Amino acid sequence: MSQVSPIDSVEHDSDVVFDNIGMTFGTASGVTHAVANVSGAIPEGKFVSVIGPSGCGKSTLLDMVGGLLKPTQGSVSINGESVTGPRRDTAMVFQEDSTLHWRTVLDNVAFGLEVKGLPKAERHERARRMIELVGLTGFEDHRPGQLSGGMKQRVAIARALAMEPRVLLMDEPFGALDQQTRQFIGRELLRIWEKTRNRVLFITHDIQEAVYLSDEVWVMSARPSVVKEVVTIDLPRPRPEGTHALPRFRELEDHLWALVKVEAEKTLGPGARLA
Amino acid sequence: MTVQEKTSSVQSQQRTPLVSRAALVRWVIILALVAVLEFTTRTGMISQSLMVPPSEILTRLASIVPTEQFGQDAARTLTTILVAFSIGLVLGIPLGVFLWRVPAAGRILEPFIVTGYAMPTLLFYPVLLALMGLNAGPIIVIAASMSLIPIALTTMVALNAIKPILHKLANSVSASPRQYYLKVLFPAATPLIFPGVKLGFIYAVIGTVAMEFILASQGVGFRAGFYYRELNTADMWAYIAVVIVLSVLVNSVLTWLEKRIRRDML
Ligand SMILES: Nc1ncnc2c1ncn2[C@@H]1O[C@H](COP(=O)(O)OP(=O)(O)OP(=O)(O)O)[C@@H](O)[C@H]1O
Ligand SMILES: [Mg+2]
Repeated sequence: MSQVSPIDSVEHDSDVVFDNIGMTFGTASGVTHAVANVSGAIPEGKFVSVIGPSGCGKSTLLDMVGGLLKPTQGSVSINGESVTGPRRDTAMVFQEDSTLHWRTVLDNVAFGLEVKGLPKAERHERARRMIELVGLTGFEDHRPGQLSGGMKQRVAIARALAMEPRVLLMDEPFGALDQQTRQFIGRELLRIWEKTRNRVLFITHDIQEAVYLSDEVWVMSARPSVVKEVVTIDLPRPRPEGTHALPRFRELEDHLWALVKVEAEKTLGPGARLA
Repeated sequence: MTVQEKTSSVQSQQRTPLVSRAALVRWVIILALVAVLEFTTRTGMISQSLMVPPSEILTRLASIVPTEQFGQDAARTLTTILVAFSIGLVLGIPLGVFLWRVPAAGRILEPFIVTGYAMPTLLFYPVLLALMGLNAGPIIVIAASMSLIPIALTTMVALNAIKPILHKLANSVSASPRQYYLKVLFPAATPLIFPGVKLGFIYAVIGTVAMEFILASQGVGFRAGFYYRELNTADMWAYIAVVIVLSVLVNSVLTWLEKRIRRDML
């Protein structure tokens, strides 16, 4: 197939490698080709964002990397090992609210560490640090029912970060946040990431956010989806607040916008206007 | 923070008088009913062969409760209820989990279980008596099977109602099956299972007292039935009053527990 890009020698064992993966859902109402022939790699220490029209298979892609879904075609490998199920060195932030409503914020954030078997004192200490990072200090003993949607999402982010994963998979983690909180948490995430330099696969529909955070932005096509273009974000790091105003930032943003628009029109029909 | 504390204290300030007012009205209704009963039985509007005045029930109770026989009857009835309910829990919850885990089994077995729910299980009582003899055994079997059904059904429904994202989360952090059940499934399902457990307890009480009433050698229900057949209305009502008090007590304990669980979980 022409879309298959052969895995070349630039890729390493430590990468997250997508080898021509695809996912087809069979349901009562027929088959959905959610993802078709996605190839590529997230190199060690790189931040990759994925953008694409709604329903193109971004969450499906993430679930396959996280080992929650088995691809119907091809395979994903991390550190040279094929992904057959959830891995201990991977953490996920889901698109929907995934907080445990009977646990306090502290115990929600510590949940992943608790499952890993960390002693209480240690996991609470780590959880407290993450709670501070996501700006929820003072809410440790609250339950999710007492939090806003954006706060719950920050709990989920803190839970994933607390696990100190080598591969961090985030599905529109800032979707429920307002613009200011979004930028604040985005900067915090970058700050943490500059220190850990783990591999991040980040799904968003916010083009600015993708450019600001990433080393590469993958633009997915409408279903059946492929990675239509990989845009390298060659902005220097660290990226201070003024980064958004750089001419190069604008250029990249415009380029991505044009790519996304074509795909969105395919999904929504010609003449559809983007919000 | 402070604003939140303020609003919650305002809410609770508003809520408490409402709750106590409802409780007050409830007590007034109960006392009024008792007064009406007292009046209608004393004046003969209700025949004393059907119902004796509440004051007389009280004096009967005062002489019955201290006796050794009453102690034995009450102990027998309580242990029978507890054993039946425990069996209902121990079998009902795993059955509910099984029906949820194996949806095909759920689809096949559900009609049977619902039929079991609707069927007057007491019809099997004579058969069980013949098989097991006149002891607590047959009563436990019937009361336990009555108790098990609502527990199993609500367990299945509660587990089915858990958001798929929680399964995804447990899976993504590589939770072991044990962790999955103890840290995710049961806490998530408990508030929904609890009404079924409560119903299961009530069924255990009904099953036990009703079977004792029909035929037994001991127990509060047996004693009520015994005096009924002896046309001793006053003592029959004294034992009925014991059952009523028992049900109210158990129900309020369960309601209190349910509230606690809900508060901790929601
Ligand atoms: N479990 C499933 N069974 C059947 N079809 C599914 C399932 N999960 C997803 N799909 C289908 O696969 C396609 C991709 O879904 P996915 O959730 O990956 O999209 P997405 O890109 O994350 O969209 P959004 O941006 O709206 O979150 C959709 O058409 C969806 O209907
Ligand atoms: Mg999605």
